[in-house]
This record gives sequence, C-alpha cells and structure tokens, in this order.
Amino acid sequence: MADTIKDFESAAAELAAIVKTMEEGDLSLEKSLELYERGVALSRYCHTKLEEAERRIEILTDRGDLKPAPAGLVPDTER
Amino acid sequence: MTIVSDLFPFFDEPDTAAIEPELDVPRRDTMPRAESVVRERPSASPKKSITVSELSAEIRSVLEGEIGERVVEGEVSNSRLWNTGHLYFTLKDAGAQIRAVMFRSVVRQLKFKPEDGLHVVARGRVSVYEPKGEYQLVCDQMEPRGLGALQLAFEQVKKRLQAEGLFDAVRKRPLPSLPRKIGVVTSLDGAAVRDILKVLARRYPHAHIVIRPSRVQGDEAAADLVRSMQMIGKVPGVDVVIVGRGGGSIEDLWAFNDERLARAIAACPVPVISAVGHEVDFTIADFVADLRAPTPSAAAEMVVSRREELCSRIDRHADRLRDVARAALDRRRASVHRLTSARGLASFPARLAMRSRHVSELTHTLARTARASLQRRDRQQHALRQRLDALAPGRRMQALLMAVSSATERLLAAAERTRHRHDAGFRALAGRLENLSPLGVLARGYALCWDDERTCLVRESTAVAPGDRVRVTLAKGEIGCVVDRTSES
Repeated sequence: MADTIKDFESAAAELAAIVKTMEEGDLSLEKSLELYERGVALSRYCHTKLEEAERRIEILTDRGDLKPAPAGLVPDTER
Repeated sequence: MTIVSDLFPFFDEPDTAAIEPELDVPRRDTMPRAESVVRERPSASPKKSITVSELSAEIRSVLEGEIGERVVEGEVSNSRLWNTGHLYFTLKDAGAQIRAVMFRSVVRQLKFKPEDGLHVVARGRVSVYEPKGEYQLVCDQMEPRGLGALQLAFEQVKKRLQAEGLFDAVRKRPLPSLPRKIGVVTSLDGAAVRDILKVLARRYPHAHIVIRPSRVQGDEAAADLVRSMQMIGKVPGVDVVIVGRGGGSIEDLWAFNDERLARAIAACPVPVISAVGHEVDFTIADFVADLRAPTPSAAAEMVVSRREELCSRIDRHADRLRDVARAALDRRRASVHRLTSARGLASFPARLAMRSRHVSELTHTLARTARASLQRRDRQQHALRQRLDALAPGRRMQALLMAVSSATERLLAAAERTRHRHDAGFRALAGRLENLSPLGVLARGYALCWDDERTCLVRESTAVAPGDRVRVTLAKGEIGCVVDRTSES
C-alpha cells in the first residue's frame, strides 16, 4: 500500500479527498472499507514523514560548505 | 588631473573631456597676475591684448577666490549619473540655474538619490570649466530639504520597487508546510539567531536548520546580505529562508532598506520571511519578502505553525475517516436489523404455521369422509350378502355366491381405486387449499341453504317465503326443509 504513495503533499491531499468522498458519497460497504483502509495507510504515512526528519543545525560557510554549528549556538533547551 | 577632467563633461563624454595638461601650469602662474588684473582693472590698458585662456584663467581665479565654498539651496534638474560614477545636474530656482557636479566618492556616501524635482541643500565651491567657458558648483555634500536623508532614501526605493511590482500580493509565495531545511540569514553574534533557534527547538524538534552568517549592520552589510541570500537559496533542500536581525536604530537596520537586498530577496527561489528589528520597524526587505515577521522569534513561529497546522489537519482527517467508516457500518447494521424485524418477515413463520394447521385439518376431514364412504359400501354389501344367504340355497345359491363374491371383489377393488382416487384428490386438494375451504367450513358445522331445485344458494331470508321448500347441505348429507317463517336479520 505504502509504495503507491508519492509524497507527503499528495498523501495529505488524497487523505482529504477520501474523507470527503466517504462523507458525501453513498458508497457500498466494500468500497467504504477499501477507502477506509487506504485512508488509514495515508495518515500513518503522513505521521511517519512528519517525525522522520532529524534535528540538525549547520553553518553555511563562505566557500559554500556546510559544517555543524558551534556548540554555543545551540539553545539550552536541547538538553 | 582626472578629477579636473570629470568636472566638465556637460558637452563632451567624460573620458574625452580631458583638459590639456598645461592648463594646471598657467593656472598657478596666472594666479598672482589675475589678482593684480582684478585689482588694477579700472586702470588696465584696453589696448594690450591677452589670450582667451588668459582671460578664462583670470575669471576662474576671481570666481574661486572671491566666492569659494558656499551652501546653496535649490531644485535638482537634468540629473544624470555617468558610468564613471560622477553625478551631473543643474540646481535651479525660479530665476536662475547653475550647473553642478558631484564626484563618485561623494555620490557613494549619499543615502538618497538626487532625483529631478528634489529640493536640496548642497555645499560646494564654484569652479570654471575653461574649454567651454562655463562655471559650476562642485558639490561635496547634499541633504534633502524637509525630510531626513534616510527617510527620503527609503521612500525613493520603496516607490521605485513598488512601481516595478516587487511588492505585489501575487508575487507572495506560500510557506511550505513541511520544510526540509530552514535557511536562516543573520549574524551569529546577534540575538536573532538565538531567538529563532530557541523557538524551533521547542516547537519543531526535528527541524534541520542551515544558518548563513552575515553582517547585518555597517557599510558592508547590504552587500554581504545580498551574497548570503544568493548562497542560501542554492543550498539543496532549503525551502524557506528567514532573513533578519534584532532591533536597533534606523541606521543599524539600514542595510535592510538596500535596493540590492530587496532584489536578492525577490530573486530567491524559495519563500523568504523577513524579520527585522521590532514590531514597529518596517524595512524595504519587509515589503518585498513573501511574509513579514514582526520579530525573529515570530518568523520561527510562522515556520512551525504551518507544520503544526498540517499535523492537526491530518489528525482531523484521520478522525473523520474513522467516524465516517464507523457510521457506514452502523448504518448497514441498522438496516439489516430493520429488515429482519419488519412485520412481513417476522410474521411469516406464524402465517406458515397457520396454513399448515389448516392443511392438516382439511386432510383429516378428507380421510374421514373417504373412510365413511367405504364403510357405508361395506355395510351395504354385507346386508346384500345376508339377504342372499337367506334367499338362495343350492347351486344357484353357489353361482350367486360366486357372482356375489366376484362382485364383492370388484367392488372392493373399485372401493380401493376410489380410495386411491380420493387420496390423489386429497393431495390435489391440499394444493388448492382456498378452493376447498367450503368443505372445511361445513365440517366446522356450517350449512349451505339451497332453493328447492338446488340451483342457487339462499343468501337472504327475503329470497324465500313461508311454505317454500329449501334444501340444506351439511358436512354429511342433506336435509329437505319447509320454511316456517322468515325474519330480516
């Protein structure tokens, strides 16, 4: 199921469309359940995407390289 | 030398307006002479001729010597900035005008642009361009009248960029809801970077942040900011940029009013949030940015709020999805329940049982009827036999008995056939329950009343009169009757 999801934005949009279809349409039970399953997969995918980024703070140097930010810059709340 | 050449480009290209090198020499030489000429003018001999250059040099020394540095107020017109960076213009009022020049080094320090029609106060000294025979003011300072120079510059840049459409609402891009990397252009020493990082650490713990350090005040700040904007826009994955600094004086924030920075922000390939100073400070960068944040912290809040909004939208959708799926199931469950409990379906078994009882009643009646009929024939045959036994002895008797017995056998066979036929009839009847019901009705004690000819049923008392004969069919047999009396109900 997950490999049919293109990216985050399209997953969020499809989820919204499914909810709308289910709320408006007079669907067969089989179709409702199929859409429901798809919708659950989409929302799971979205949540995974939302959490998967990793915290990082980098400095862009004069030469255009990226290096980690000096420790003094990182806020205390990091502890 | 080159400075002199730049002073007089009004009719020649600046580069070709070079003045002969020897001009400087006679100028110094003629100085004392010019002084004496001026002094001695009333007594000078008109007969003695001098060259044009000599006269021009005299005029020059008089003008420069007598007038020197002045502060002049007037309106700028015909202003033109040459490739060399020097600015040429005319200062005028209602009654007069004077040509003027401002060197590149002075122009560069001007915060505003001396546009035509602008009222200015200029300081400079009067000089002469001898090849053209013209005098002019060499300005080394200029201030707009009324407005402060910075305020004027701000208004000028703002007006210009606005006219170009750089502030148009249609140019504003929406922030990405899920930025892969957040670009920040600011000073590493300022409060802004810490404020931004603090907000992001608290509300977007997974954020990937790329900081491009830049000077944010001083002469080099604008150029540095421009370059930083260009660099951060090229970092792969950065899809929103915050550019800004903490609060300060209007001079401190000045780099953010720079036209070049405004253009760099407009050219940035991803949305830019400006976050300069405090809430009350508005800079050109704010107008051109896709979104203006009142403070650096607020800029960070804007970035995360889009994401939080998205998270909650997805949660809401997931909730609705579950509700709607549950409702679809409930609805169907309810409709199945409704169908099974409906009158039609629910009463079916009862109706079935009723019919079946009716059938068995009819069956019972039929069987009894058939049995009775057989018994009757049996009794008749028995009676006949007794009479025969009593009546006919001997051979004849034997023959008769034989005949009787065969007749009896045939009779029994016939009776058996009849019974079979009745059985079959009963089965057929069972399938035609409704048609047979009169029999059932009679069995339950009802009777049918016919007229004497047995052609039609008597349904009303008025159909007969006292003395009429009627026949009454019962479940078993028939009765002939005479009407005694009738009554209406």
